[in-house]
Amino acid sequence: MSTWPTTREMDIETDGFDTVDMSINVGPQHPATHGVFRMVLTVDGERVVDCEPYIGYLHRGLEKLTENADYRQSMGWWDRTDYLAGMCCEGAYCMAVEKLAGIEVPDRAEYIRVIMMELSRINSHFMFFGAFGADVGSMGTSFIYGWRERERIYDLMEEVAGDRMFPTYFRIGGVTMDLPDNFEQRCRWVLDSVKKGLEDFDGLLTGNEVFIERCRDLSPVTPEQGINWGLTGPMLRATGLKWDIRRAEPYSIYPHLKFEIPVGRQGDVFDRYMVRMAEAYQSVRIIEQCLDEMPKSGLVLNPSLPKTLRVNDAECYLRTEGTKGEYSIYAIAKGGNKPYRMKLRSPAFCSLSALREMVVGTYVADAIIILGSIDIVLGEVDK
Amino acid sequence: MTSEEQQQEGTQDGQQEAKPQAPLATLAATQRPNQEFKKTLTDTLDKLFPNSPFTIDETTTDVNVHCPPEHLSWLVTTLKERKELAFDYLRNVSGVDYEEGLTCVYHFYSFKHGHTVQLTVKCPPDNVHIPSLTGLYATASWHEREAAEMFGFVFDGHPNLKNLLLEEDLDIHPLLKAHPLQKPEILQGIEDGTPGFDF
Repeated sequence: MSTWPTTREMDIETDGFDTVDMSINVGPQHPATHGVFRMVLTVDGERVVDCEPYIGYLHRGLEKLTENADYRQSMGWWDRTDYLAGMCCEGAYCMAVEKLAGIEVPDRAEYIRVIMMELSRINSHFMFFGAFGADVGSMGTSFIYGWRERERIYDLMEEVAGDRMFPTYFRIGGVTMDLPDNFEQRCRWVLDSVKKGLEDFDGLLTGNEVFIERCRDLSPVTPEQGINWGLTGPMLRATGLKWDIRRAEPYSIYPHLKFEIPVGRQGDVFDRYMVRMAEAYQSVRIIEQCLDEMPKSGLVLNPSLPKTLRVNDAECYLRTEGTKGEYSIYAIAKGGNKPYRMKLRSPAFCSLSALREMVVGTYVADAIIILGSIDIVLGEVDK
Repeated sequence: MTSEEQQQEGTQDGQQEAKPQAPLATLAATQRPNQEFKKTLTDTLDKLFPNSPFTIDETTTDVNVHCPPEHLSWLVTTLKERKELAFDYLRNVSGVDYEEGLTCVYHFYSFKHGHTVQLTVKCPPDNVHIPSLTGLYATASWHEREAAEMFGFVFDGHPNLKNLLLEEDLDIHPLLKAHPLQKPEILQGIEDGTPGFDF
C-alpha cells in the first residue's frame, strides 16, 4: 500500500510484525518551528524517511509592495524581513538603491551603519543560541541568557533610533540622525556585557556533554553539497569553506576593518553552533574597532539628495552578508520614483530548501535540532 | 574647557580641513563588473560557439549575458563545466515582467575564481517555457517554484512545480505588472471592488 520505504528496506528488525509508515504534522503553530512554518514528517518508527516543508504563512507580498511605493516609503517593510536583525536588511536595501542611483554616504554614517549592523548580527545570534539551546533540551535557561543580552542591545537601539525591533534608522544616503552623546560609553558597556553573555553560553552549552553528544556528527555536510544546495553564511562556513561576503565581495567599510572568518570542519550541527559563537566574538571586535576609529563629528546624511529620488535605467545585484547568509537584492530601475523590480534573495529560504536532504535518515528528535540549526526567520523566508 | 584645549582643538580642526581624507566607503569601487572575466567569457564563447546568439554587456554590478531560452541548457552546462569559468553556485533566480514577454534572470558565482555572471533569458511573448536547472543545481528547485507561481513560468523538467509561497490552489501570478495591488475580490470572494491601497 505505502509508497515509502518500509522498515525491512531500512534493515530494521521487525520480528515478524508488519509495520506502516506514519505521517506527523509539525507546525505551523509549534514552538520548535521558530515561527509559522509547517513540515510533514513521514516516519518509520523513530526514523524520518521523508520530509516535506510548507512555507508561505507569512507571505506579505514585499516585492509587489516595493514596486508600488516610493523608494523611501519601502524602507520600513524591509526590516520586517529578517526581523531579528532589522538593521542588516535596511542596510542592504539602502545600499541597493545607492548603487542604482550612485549616491555617496558620509564616512561617519558608514561607521554608524556598520556598528548597527554588527549589533544586529550579535542580536540575531543570541536569539539562535537561546532558541537552539531550548531545542536541544536546556529548557528555559539558554533562552533567558539570550534574552538578557538582547534586551541590553535593544535598549541601546532604542536610544539611538527610537525603536527596538524595527528601527527604520537608515536612510538612502546615510542614517536618519546622529548618535546620542553618551553612545560610545553605553556601547562599550553593552559589549562587555555581551562578552560575558557569550562566556555564559560557553559554560552552559559548549562544554556540556549532553549538548555535544546530541549535536556532534549530526547531519554532516560537505562543501560541495553545501554549494549545490545553496547554503550560505554560517551554514556554509561550518563545512570548512572560508567564504564571507564581507571579505569576498566587500561593501561599506569592511575592507578597512580587521576580523577573522571562523570556519568549521565537517558541517555538522555542532560546527554550525560553534561558527556562530565565534562570529559573535568577531562582531564585538568589529564594533570596538569602529568605536575607536570613527570620525567624532561630521555629517550623517548626504546633504545633496533631491526631494524626490528618481533613478534612471539601471540594474544591480547587491550582495551583503546577512546574519543567516547571503542577503542580496536584485534591483531594476526604469526611471520614476519607484523601483521597477526588487527581488530579495533570502538566505534562510535557500538553506531551508535543503532541509529534506539534511533530515531524511535521522531521528524525529534530531530533525527538530537540524531545523533549529538552520536558524530560520520566517519573515525572510516568506517575504 | 581651558583655552589651551580650545587652541589645540582649533589647530586639529584646521589640520583636518587642510587635508581632507578620501571617502572610505568602497561600495562604488567594489561589486563591479570584472573586465578580465568579461574578456575570458567572450573568448570562450566565441571559440565554442561561432556566430553565437549571445550578447554580452554589463549591469552596474555584473557581466550580463543575454541568452535565448533554447540555448540556456547549453550555456549553463558550459559555465559550470569549463575550468576557466567554473560557476558552481547558483545564487538567485528572478523573474521580471517587462510587459513584452517574461524575462528570467539568473546569477551565478564561482567559488574557485571568485567571479560572478548574470544571465538574462528573455522569453518571446506567448511563450513561458524555460528549461529547468534543477538537474545542474539542487538549489534551483525552490527558486524556480517561486518564479513559476509569481510570474507563470513553466520550467520544463522541474520535478515538482506546485505553489510554494502562495496557497496551493491559487492560480494567480501576483508579480505580473497587469496584476493590481491587493485586489480584494481574489482574497475575499467579492466580485468587483476597487483596489485596497493606492500609493
